[in-house]
Amino acid sequence: MTALVWGLEWRIALARRRLFVLNTVVPLLLVVPVATGAAPAVHAAAIYAVLFVIFSTFGSAIPLVRDAENGMTARMLLGGVSPSGYLLQRAAAGAALDGLQLIPALVVAGFGAGASPRALLVTFGALLGTAWVGNLIGPLVAVTTRSLAEAALFTAVCTLLLLHMSGVFRTPAPSSYGALVEAASPFRALHEALLGMGSAGPVGGGGALAAWAVLLAAGTAVFAGPVTRALRRVSRG
Amino acid sequence: MRVTTIAPPEASELARAVGVVRADGLRYAYRNGVPVLHDLDLEISVGDIVALVGPNGAGKSTLLRILAGELVPAAGELELPAGRSAAGRVMLGYAPEEGAHFESLSGLENALFFARAAGLRRAEARASVVEHMDALGLTDDAARPVADYSFGARRKLLLVEALAHRPALTLLDEPFVGLDQASRVALIRLLRLQSAKRGTVVVASHDLALLPELVDRIVFIHEGRVAASGRVAELLASMGRTTRFEVDLERRPEGLVGRLRPGITVVSEGDPLVLEAGRGQGALAEVCGSLVAAGAVIRSIAVRDNDLAEAFRRATGVELEP
Repeated sequence: MTALVWGLEWRIALARRRLFVLNTVVPLLLVVPVATGAAPAVHAAAIYAVLFVIFSTFGSAIPLVRDAENGMTARMLLGGVSPSGYLLQRAAAGAALDGLQLIPALVVAGFGAGASPRALLVTFGALLGTAWVGNLIGPLVAVTTRSLAEAALFTAVCTLLLLHMSGVFRTPAPSSYGALVEAASPFRALHEALLGMGSAGPVGGGGALAAWAVLLAAGTAVFAGPVTRALRRVSRG
Repeated sequence: MRVTTIAPPEASELARAVGVVRADGLRYAYRNGVPVLHDLDLEISVGDIVALVGPNGAGKSTLLRILAGELVPAAGELELPAGRSAAGRVMLGYAPEEGAHFESLSGLENALFFARAAGLRRAEARASVVEHMDALGLTDDAARPVADYSFGARRKLLLVEALAHRPALTLLDEPFVGLDQASRVALIRLLRLQSAKRGTVVVASHDLALLPELVDRIVFIHEGRVAASGRVAELLASMGRTTRFEVDLERRPEGLVGRLRPGITVVSEGDPLVLEAGRGQGALAEVCGSLVAAGAVIRSIAVRDNDLAEAFRRATGVELEP
């Protein structure tokens, strides 16, 4: 199977120009007041992390449920697209598109924090990795839902929980159970990179992010069949 | 449920297979428990064009969805050209009655995606899609986003997507709905070509007008079972060389049935009175004359031609909706 779904996702994204522009402009408009408002770095990083992570997970789960509801998922799979190719290529295209659309917001956030080009590049790397993980979490959320409204609700709950575990909302005491969870959480790398943009300090959580990225991709490939069957059930209520 | 692989996707081997599609005792029920298919048996040979005919709710679309791999039957055995493998899916062309598209992309992009997903290379996919769009009169709309398509154009696009990769098994649900006359004729020609290359075609329809031109065999489906099947000529011949008349009487004298002329057969003495006589205009005159001579007053009389609709009615006891 060639990268048909990857190409398809890009063509759809570029054909829907208004949505593409909105997906670029809205995060930018949300970031500008924070970046220019002299918010403390810890608060600014938390806001950016929530925004960027929700952007990628919502952008993955909701279109999946929509396509399952209107029968597009079933048509693609019956048409010869492999389940793993469908999910992984879609996640890859979603992550790349998320990264592209969030660049202006990230640059403004970096500018506000006084980030060096290197720090900005590190943060962009963490953002891409996070977007990949977020886009792979989308199908897991989608299979548990029966409607777009449920998908939005479950995505919000799941994302905020993972952000909380990643130490975005509070710093757990060292050596505590919370600190262990934080160290293994997927979104810690992005949060730390956003926190460290101004100080160019070391960024933790990269290993956990890489592990999640690989494990989720492998799990998606292995369980693509059951996941897509569950997604197709969405269309039958 | 057992799915058997009976042949790899090479056409030459497919051609040697007998009964490319075989369903044995298929059962399916909706999730609310309402049964749709009851022990349905079916066998379709390589290269045949077969029509599943029945009223709405008979189980035609459900059977097609099972053959397409979209639904899994609760019981029964199913043999498909290449099972439910990826190769089997690529050999399949399925056009549901209503199918979603990528609305923001053009019809050409949609059809190219499905042709490429079915394994065609870029150049051959484009050539085949363009050829099929042209045949079905969709060329002028090819570059427009599907969101702007009319109902008919959407139906044509579904057919192009199902046919462009020249599948070994084509499943079309109500393929003539939404098509203009020229497109219907073009579709029949495309399907005939496919059949000539030993491609098997199954269409579900409740519109009998065009089927005799298209199909080799007809399967009447009623309440989830095969009520009758055979070649068009066989089904028509099974009714004999008689015409059926349904007579609504204003006045019905005592002993009417016994006073009818020889050669007129009474099928039902109920209301309406159902009679059979020879064929043609002479039979109508014969029936009317006999009834009047026997003292009956006719309110109305319906002549049932020996067509497929009548064959369906005789096989199932119910009318096929127009």
